[in-house]
Amino acid sequence: MKRQLTGYAFISPWLVGFAVFALAPFLISIYLSFTRYNIVTEPVWIGLGNYRNLFLHDPLFWRALVVTLKYAAVAVPLGVVTGVGLALLLNLELRGIAVYRTLFFLPSIVPVVATSVVFLWILNPQIGLVNGLLKALGVIGPNWLGSPDWAFPSLVLMSLWSVGGSVIIYLAGLKDIPLSLYEAAMIDGAGPYHRMRHITLPLLTPVIFFNLVMGVIGAFQYFTQAYVIMNGTEGPNDSTLFYALYLFNRAWRYLDMGYASAMAWILFVVIIGITLFIFRSHRRWVHYGD
Amino acid sequence: MATDAPGQRTFLALGGLLLAGLLVAFLLPKPVEHRTEGRIQVRLWHMWTAEWKTVVDEIVARFNRSQDKYEVIALSVPGLGGADTKFVLAVAGGDPPDVMAQWNPVIPSWVEAGLLQPLDAFMTPAEWAALRQEMYPVARKIGVYRDRLYGVTTGLNIWACFYLPAHFREAGLDPEAFPTSLEDLFEVGAKLDRFDGRNLTRMGFMPQLFGFNVTLFGHGFYDETKQEVTVFTPANLRALEVFAAEQARLGFDNVARFQAGINQLSFAAGWPFIGGHYSICLDGQWRVEQIARYAPELEYLTAPLPPPAGGRARAGFSNGNFMVIPVGAKCPDGAWEFIKFWSGIENPERAAEIYVMGGWLPLKPAIVQAPAYQAYLRKYPQFRTFVDLLSSEYIQVAAPVPYTSYLADRVTRANDMALQGLLSPEQALRELETEVRQEQLRRKEFGYVD
Amino acid sequence: MSTRSNAHKLVTHAVLILLCLPFVLPLVWMASTSLKPETEIYATAAPANALEYLGTLLPARPHWQNYPDALRTVPFATYLQNTLILCVANVVFAVLSSAVVAYGFARLQFRGREFWFMVMISTMALPGQVTMIPVFTLFRELGLYGTFLPLIIPSLFGNAFFIFLLRQFFRTIPEELAEAARVDGASEWTIFTRVMLPLAKPALATCALFQFLHTWNDFFGPLLYIDDPDRYPLAYGLQQFMSSYGGKWAQLMAGACIFTVPIIILFFFAQKTFIQGISTTGSKA
Repeated sequence: MKRQLTGYAFISPWLVGFAVFALAPFLISIYLSFTRYNIVTEPVWIGLGNYRNLFLHDPLFWRALVVTLKYAAVAVPLGVVTGVGLALLLNLELRGIAVYRTLFFLPSIVPVVATSVVFLWILNPQIGLVNGLLKALGVIGPNWLGSPDWAFPSLVLMSLWSVGGSVIIYLAGLKDIPLSLYEAAMIDGAGPYHRMRHITLPLLTPVIFFNLVMGVIGAFQYFTQAYVIMNGTEGPNDSTLFYALYLFNRAWRYLDMGYASAMAWILFVVIIGITLFIFRSHRRWVHYGD
Repeated sequence: MATDAPGQRTFLALGGLLLAGLLVAFLLPKPVEHRTEGRIQVRLWHMWTAEWKTVVDEIVARFNRSQDKYEVIALSVPGLGGADTKFVLAVAGGDPPDVMAQWNPVIPSWVEAGLLQPLDAFMTPAEWAALRQEMYPVARKIGVYRDRLYGVTTGLNIWACFYLPAHFREAGLDPEAFPTSLEDLFEVGAKLDRFDGRNLTRMGFMPQLFGFNVTLFGHGFYDETKQEVTVFTPANLRALEVFAAEQARLGFDNVARFQAGINQLSFAAGWPFIGGHYSICLDGQWRVEQIARYAPELEYLTAPLPPPAGGRARAGFSNGNFMVIPVGAKCPDGAWEFIKFWSGIENPERAAEIYVMGGWLPLKPAIVQAPAYQAYLRKYPQFRTFVDLLSSEYIQVAAPVPYTSYLADRVTRANDMALQGLLSPEQALRELETEVRQEQLRRKEFGYVD
Repeated sequence: MSTRSNAHKLVTHAVLILLCLPFVLPLVWMASTSLKPETEIYATAAPANALEYLGTLLPARPHWQNYPDALRTVPFATYLQNTLILCVANVVFAVLSSAVVAYGFARLQFRGREFWFMVMISTMALPGQVTMIPVFTLFRELGLYGTFLPLIIPSLFGNAFFIFLLRQFFRTIPEELAEAARVDGASEWTIFTRVMLPLAKPALATCALFQFLHTWNDFFGPLLYIDDPDRYPLAYGLQQFMSSYGGKWAQLMAGACIFTVPIIILFFFAQKTFIQGISTTGSKA
């Protein structure tokens, strides 16, 4: 009995926090999603109204969902490819490789708000670094963040700049691959391509898988960068109207807490769904070694 | 223990950083605040920054000197960074300021959400009736909602054309004969464009702010007589087509690059008009004050934006600065005293001196008549264009509906789409119509007030 | 043979340097812009070629004045102080509370342990947007809106990720050490504070570092809960600076440097913890 109590005493801080900051808000938020609520006056029950409206009558909801899915489908895989590529390069035995690793890693620890501010400056169409370099090469650069075609790619570019964190994770994954496997393959006469294709990449799949899941979940909550760079707006032609941004605007700009809660719930279900889907499909391509 | 080393080092580094940081933070000079004992504090939020903030601070200092009961403390909460959101959060969070200076069309949605106090409650019925009579039509449109006063304007803004006579003369045009129709204005503008190869180096005239100037063509997005939002009307379509055609003439990319380059300098002294980047520029009356401050030698004139054939003369848009008092304000009486002081409800002579500090347009004619304002008009005759527009019934404000920020966001998008040639004006307006109708239907179905 | 491998190395170096540029240049440019006078920034004389352009990237002569100017435009010193207060409180609270809970999950036997642990792991998948509005109203009812407390209080109850990390670490500590203390009649609390915590320093350091970075970077918390400019932390203050003084690039970059450089310094001192922490994050799958 005493043992039981001691155990619960130790985890009690978390239990209290869970009840107050997760479970209760979670349940309240379900309730709110069935109401019209402006946070000042009492919520009014409207049944499935918010959900019905979101799915059937809100063009912006779909636009935001498309922008977000596009980000998950473009930025996340690009991040994985870049990350793995760089990790393979940085895994080489070479004098001074530690310096390179540091240089590639540094951008990923630059605070998000600072990164956004710096990119706003770099992508300044007239006197920014990127268009300056392009101009020196004789190319007239686009109006990056101000153009509906380039605003979104600019944010993808920004996310690639911070890829260093995942490079570290891939490097750790590469270090975990037993050398004996390569030696055995060499004896069998496998070339570098073969070794990459049949040893390195398969054994790296668990790490890739993890990054993919986290990346997709992150994409659905992508907010700060878009908010800072676009000053809280939807970007040119709604091109950076991310789901989390639209949700935030619905809540705190248009004062529709019930509507925003319904959006949050849809977000939750989508995240769970995608995670489950990836977990189910991973048996087919994730290799957990022997 | 070998693994211990990095842990220890990290703690040391964190501790060192904290110590160093705190040392730096405490040693660096911080702004000194003067707070007087024994006065009731009134917290004012406003969205002005840079040199405008200085003007506000001066007005606040004057108020604090003028009486000894209240002390207004001004906090600058930058507008572009989401000051509206901040205000909503603060009222919802139970720690609102006592008074906020706004310029976005927030009154309808905030009133419906129960965030604002009616200000006529601070007056006797007779005083309120008198003020209502005296106010300029625009001030009334902005501040009165559902027949009650929620915002007192402390500086209306009206747009008109600023132009450079030198550019006119250089192109062989007569600066005194400003075009009297929009079509003529476009033609003159085209003559004033300058290029370096294909690159635009100077823009004669670019019709901006479609959402604002649509009122030259008709009643725009709000029919004041029928009191309803109107989107897909022939007048709105024509306006968007005309604006898009002008943009297409120069090429969107060209214009965008040109504007992006100079916008970085567009505040204070670097206003592109001062730098001669535009020959004719649509802007607000406060620029008169800025030119006086940063380019006193500049020769310029002003004129109302002329109407298109068959359109409405002396039409335009206003989004004045106004003061609101939130529900839950700790010192609403002090807030009201400050509003009276700045707006000139009671003492027009004294208020006139404040209005001219920022080059703002007043609440009622009595302030224009005051000596300080008359002196200002003599000093800057260009300002008269704007004062004359004040009395026009055709100056519209944002549609007074609770979803007006949604409407404004969506109008901006339709504008961008059409002006960039991504959608035809007709299609852009149709999409806008759908978005607005859906929002209206949703609000009706679920019992929101409209 | 050797010349061939040398050539090979040279090519690899060249490739690496080329690939490095896009990662490093923005940082260099941030620093160099913060040291340029405004006139130099807006000087748009077209350089003849790429090399000449690269030459203009560095300031002709460092213009340190931008830093005091930036500090005068907005009170960065106040922001820094606020950030540090938040960092200290959050690091101390989050690390200690997580350690206590993690110890319970790792070393104590009680009914429902596995169940609660699974619940804890699954809370990590709960997006903040779901709880945002109810939690906001909770803090409002408590009258804490506008204070630092809504940004600190949640740390008192442990962080799921840290609890997970520390639990894994506690489980690697040999049971004999605790057993010996138990025989001497020590309570679980004593064992935890005297035996376990000192041994867990590397894992605690990882948590402290991550919490520090998280608080330092946090933008959303202050966006939601802080209204008084005197209480802005750096992350929020920098964004406000940008939205109100957008064209003052030199000062803005000075602000960005003030915000970034401490983190880079921290990295160089705590490199191992950084790398280890990040690698553990990735391999927990």
